[in-house]
Formats: sequence, C-alpha cells, structure tokens
Amino acid sequence: MFKELDPLLHSQLRLQVMSLLVGVESAEFTYLLEETGATRGNLSVQITKLKDAGYIDVNKSFRNNYPLTTCKITPKGVKAFEKYVEALQEYLKLDKKSRSS
Amino acid sequence: METTFTEQDSLRVITEMIENSKAKIRDNGFFYLLWGWLVLIASLSNFILLIIDYDKAWLPWPILMTGGGIASGIAGYRLGKRIKVRTFFDTAMIYLWYGFLATLFIILFTAAKGNVSWVVTNALIIALYGLGTFVSGGILNFKPLIWGGIFSWVIAIVTLFIPDLYSLLAVALSIVVAYLIPGYMLKSRFNKNSHV
Repeated sequence: MFKELDPLLHSQLRLQVMSLLVGVESAEFTYLLEETGATRGNLSVQITKLKDAGYIDVNKSFRNNYPLTTCKITPKGVKAFEKYVEALQEYLKLDKKSRSS
Repeated sequence: METTFTEQDSLRVITEMIENSKAKIRDNGFFYLLWGWLVLIASLSNFILLIIDYDKAWLPWPILMTGGGIASGIAGYRLGKRIKVRTFFDTAMIYLWYGFLATLFIILFTAAKGNVSWVVTNALIIALYGLGTFVSGGILNFKPLIWGGIFSWVIAIVTLFIPDLYSLLAVALSIVVAYLIPGYMLKSRFNKNSHV
C-alpha cells in the first residue's frame, strides 16, 4: 500500500529547509536564505508553517543589536522527515516496478 | 509551482540540500598552528635557557601559554560570531577542547601541589594533547591528526625513560608532528577549498 506523502513536507522550499536542518544542529535564517535561494518573505512564511507544525524550533535573539533568527529541527520534525523519505522510497520502488512490467 | 512538484523533485531537493549542509572541513588549522608554534618556542627556549644555566628557565611557559590563551579566546569569540550554521561536529569539538582545558588545569594543579613529579606531569600533558588531536582527527576524519595523536602517546612514554632535559626536545618533536604538520595541511586544504 502506497503511503501518503506528508503535504507539509511535499513542497520545494519547506523540503529544502528540512533537508538542510536535518544534518546540522542549528542554522541561522541567513544561512537558509543563501542555501535555498528563496526570497526573505517566502522563506519566513514557510518557516512559520514548519514551526506551527512543531517540526522546527525558531529562536529569536540579538547579535550586535541586529535581530538573529536561529532554526533547529525538533525530534517530531526528524520523525516526519524520515517518514517522508520512507514513503518516497516506496513510491520510487513502485514506480520502477510499474515501468519494468 | 507546488502542484508540479514531483517525487523525483523531492529526491533531487533532499540530495542537493544534504550535500550543501554536510560537514565539510571548515577548519583552517589556526588553533593547531597557534598552539603548535607557542609550545615549540616555549619548549626550545626552555631547553636553551637550561643549557645556559638561567635560573628561571621555565619562564617561557607561563608567558607564552597565557598569551596563547588570550589569543585563542579572542579568535574563538570571533569565529563564533562568523559561523551561520552549527554542525554536530562543531559541538563535539567544543566539548572536547573544553574538556581538554579542564583536565589540563587539574594536572597542573596536582603537579603544583607537589603530588606528582614534573616528569610524570610532562608525560600526562603530552598524552592529553595527543588525545585532543587523536579525537579531533576522528571527528574531522583527518588522518594526519590521528597519527599525530598516536605519535604523541608514544613520545609521552619515551619521556619517562630519558633525562629531564631531553624531554623538552621530545615535546618539541611531538608538537611538530601532532600540531604543526597537520595544522599546515588543514590550512592548505582550507585555502584550496575556499577558491572553488
């Protein structure tokens, strides 16, 4: 039976953010901005969605009087990401099978 | 745009992003070179001062090590402000070197109290900085540091069997192998990578 892909992760930018965060301990907003190539506004909206779902923690502080936003994946986020990858693998297996038959 | 996002796209995005964030060696060797040179200068000048019979031959140590501590503190603070992403490797390194520092102080305190001879203290300190490079090498997956650590452990044992005076030369040799050579290798690797 094919597992449903998590709609929250099945979006380019949100998946980019989660893939970046899954391998590191924490990352600044500007790092995510550089690596994803997204616009500030769009990234901000998607980060809020991930935060509301409990997939990431967002910490706002100050450094040299400038606001500093740091993001960190939560255990719930890691689980969701792993589940998404599993579902994806299953999908690709099915896809391969249907092509070879 | 989100409606045309396929499963193949997902796979591409995940692979690309993981490739971007995966731990690259970002170490430019600065701390290894700083401490390598300071310890080398301290041990060699201590050796020369003993030969010329200067009564405070140990003086280079407190001066250079305090200077190194201050320089490291400033460099570490600046580095912390510059990095935008913190990997698990960074955290492991921070804990390793803070643990190194705490253990070093305990050894020095024990020696200062007169509980352990300076010969044993010397061997313990060499073994301790060997541990530092050995574990760093493992974390960074950088063989020269791992071999440098093992070399330091051998030197630590050797110092127990040679005259005190020559143990300073043993320290100098181990610091060249365990800190300076890997430090310069890290530096050249870092410079090459940053031009790509």
